[in-house]
Amino acid sequence: MQTIKRSWTINGTHYEVETAPLRRLLDVLREDLRLTGTKEGCGEGECGACTVMVDGEPVLACLLAAGQVPDGAQLTTVEGLEHTPGGRVLQEAYAELGAAQCGFCIPGMIVSSYALLQRGGTVDAAAIREAHAGNICRCTGYKKIVAAIELAAERWPTAGTGK
Amino acid sequence: MHTPQTLAEVAVYFPEELDEALAALADESRRGQLLAGGTDLMVQWEAGVRPLPAQVISIKHLSELCGIADKGAVLHIGAAVTHRQLRESGLVRQYLPSLAAAAATVGGYQIQAMGTIGGSLANASPAGDLAPSLLVAEARIVVANQQRERSIPATTFWQGYRTVDCAPDELIVRVECPKLKPGYVEGWRKLGPRKAQAISKVMGSFRGAYDGAVIREFHVAIGSVAPTCIRLTELESWLVGQPLTAATFQEAERRARDTVQPIDDVRSTAAYRRWVTGRMIRGFLETWPR
Ligand code: FES
Ligand code: FES
Repeated sequence: MQTIKRSWTINGTHYEVETAPLRRLLDVLREDLRLTGTKEGCGEGECGACTVMVDGEPVLACLLAAGQVPDGAQLTTVEGLEHTPGGRVLQEAYAELGAAQCGFCIPGMIVSSYALLQRGGTVDAAAIREAHAGNICRCTGYKKIVAAIELAAERWPTAGTGK
Repeated sequence: MHTPQTLAEVAVYFPEELDEALAALADESRRGQLLAGGTDLMVQWEAGVRPLPAQVISIKHLSELCGIADKGAVLHIGAAVTHRQLRESGLVRQYLPSLAAAAATVGGYQIQAMGTIGGSLANASPAGDLAPSLLVAEARIVVANQQRERSIPATTFWQGYRTVDCAPDELIVRVECPKLKPGYVEGWRKLGPRKAQAISKVMGSFRGAYDGAVIREFHVAIGSVAPTCIRLTELESWLVGQPLTAATFQEAERRARDTVQPIDDVRSTAAYRRWVTGRMIRGFLETWPR
């Protein structure tokens, strides 16, 4: 069976990965690297629970072939967020406003939130809803999630400290 | 050749240049299923609705397929340009507003960041959201094999349900799309069960010109009402020379409803799709920016 080698930086840590090229990034993260924060909800691109960032863009790890993630890519998963000032702000805002219930959607949801706030620009309710349109939550009804992101936007660390 | 049972067993070739990809396609023993953003193929493979190929050629990273270039009256859009890039490109937003708007309704942010225009065209779903805009703009799809490039009008590229005019040794390299000319407008509408991630029940685009008294030119394309996305050419010719009045709106709605022959499926019924097609045409005319 064919394997490919990739070096990635995930949450600031260097990883050497060797895997079958079409294996899902989700399986490489969860099974090989034991980064089990990223969840599989639907496994078919509908729910967003598996959202991770590859070179700053949120993508679905259940639809991304590991071999298509280039050598040298920078990945961010939910585990990495709490080590960033922005990620901590989001974590606190979600917790403060009770934006998580069962929590299954949150690893993907909060990665989408982080990507949105990192991109900068206007962060109103419409922009938040649009940026999270690919993340399904079956518990909260989204209102508290939107409120938490608005709160995090107000507290967002200014330029240069978002890493 | 051995048939893979799981994704992990599929061999993948990562060419470094377009020429290498074309050379692999030219050789029957090295030929493979082309893979770009994976938003359609990975789902279909994982769900078992499409058999796993023995071999895949990954082309998303090829620099020859990236980028959007302004060529005067036409924009050249590389096959690996993502939906995200389409909706964010200043060029596309200005000159192909219907395409930019359509790209913005494909999936959520993540799917838009992954899926490509070439992949969307090759997948040829009757519900492919980018097709109507390309049809009304009279875009051309450029495919290449090792010997030459071939340019195909969008109107004949989709030949039937999920079949396209692209041979096994060819791949889509770019889309050449005529810009909106001064005096022309475009519109885009999509009707689906919800805003994000959803496959369309009916969607469509128009491009046209109105001279202050009557419609001078009108192109309209509707998706999800036939095996491929279609131009409503009879309706188009009828509309040319008509004023933008209530009587025109009503007659256009009736004609549109009667022309299309959609099917019943899990997403909607034929009767509903016919009705929506009529309303969509009426909406285009009623809200025509003038
Ligand atoms: S698990 Fe990836 S989108 Fe649901
Ligand atoms: S908190 Fe349960 S799915 Fe979102």
